[in-house]
Amino acid sequence: MSFDAPKSSFATGLVTALPIALGYFPIAFSFGVAATRAGLTGIEAFGLSLIIYAGAAQFLALALITGGAPVLVAAFTLVAMNVRHVLYGPALIKRVGPAARTRHAWAWAYGLTDEVFGAALGALARGRVAFSEPFMFGLGIGAYSAWLSGTALGAYAGGGALENWPVLDAALGFMLPALFLALLLSILSKAQLPVIAVAAVVTVAGTLAVSGTTGILAGMVAGALTGLLRRPTDAR
Amino acid sequence: MRAELLTLALIVGGFTWAFRFFPTKLDVSAMKPDGVLARFLASTGPAAIATLFVASVLPMLQQGLPVPLIAGTAVVLATYLASRSVVGATLAGSAGYGLAVWLLA
Repeated sequence: MSFDAPKSSFATGLVTALPIALGYFPIAFSFGVAATRAGLTGIEAFGLSLIIYAGAAQFLALALITGGAPVLVAAFTLVAMNVRHVLYGPALIKRVGPAARTRHAWAWAYGLTDEVFGAALGALARGRVAFSEPFMFGLGIGAYSAWLSGTALGAYAGGGALENWPVLDAALGFMLPALFLALLLSILSKAQLPVIAVAAVVTVAGTLAVSGTTGILAGMVAGALTGLLRRPTDAR
Repeated sequence: MRAELLTLALIVGGFTWAFRFFPTKLDVSAMKPDGVLARFLASTGPAAIATLFVASVLPMLQQGLPVPLIAGTAVVLATYLASRSVVGATLAGSAGYGLAVWLLA
């Protein structure tokens, strides 16, 4: 093994998870605060993070619960919102190629969130890591730990925790968009610019015309379909 | 935990796990590198992340002149171009956004 060989250990996964953890912790803290403000107990807030583990869906769950939506209606609205995750596994495995091992994917894929997928793809694209299941476990557990601990602390702090700190509240609220933008920059290539442009435009149109969930799903699919228009010989 | 909340969490969590896990078992090894499905999957990452970025900033754009958003985005771009660090760009962008909110308050 050469000195510069890409690393693929559990510890490398944990290190790669650091930007996600830094983004997740304050957002999960905000979720814990919002959940207790909405009338959930600390255990219930933590339980949603533990079992669902999908940030946007959890915030929407609060809105649906407090709005009085029936359980099954709320559940399937949230399920529809998370359909986009079906694309991540094949995209990741395809990027890795024949070296991809999925024997324990039943466990590490539980943590294959938007950000974990983006971080894995970015790290692989930069050649800093090689795919392995221990790496995926490290990446997933680092992110999941931050999500759970942030939720627990937010729920413990209670519903009014950020009321006297509006600037901090605002800065924490921008953490996730900042992370998405940084991840996008890390995998950016000239050939993918049309994909990104189409995804952005369709997301805006779908959100304004129908709903946020529709906008997200339509933007992803339209952007990925735009990749089909690329000539096979184009640089990636 | 109330029964209806637990039911909601188990349904959503179960489906989300299934969406994340089962597609990893699809056999993509025989896929041609320049084939239709390969190009679709290669574009999925950029499309997904671009979509999530737009979806997360859209509510800020709908609240009037988004000076903090412009400031935060500019700081993310500048920091990433200077350092190539996802961590640094994320933290600096968040701080830039908060600073802009504080200056406008």
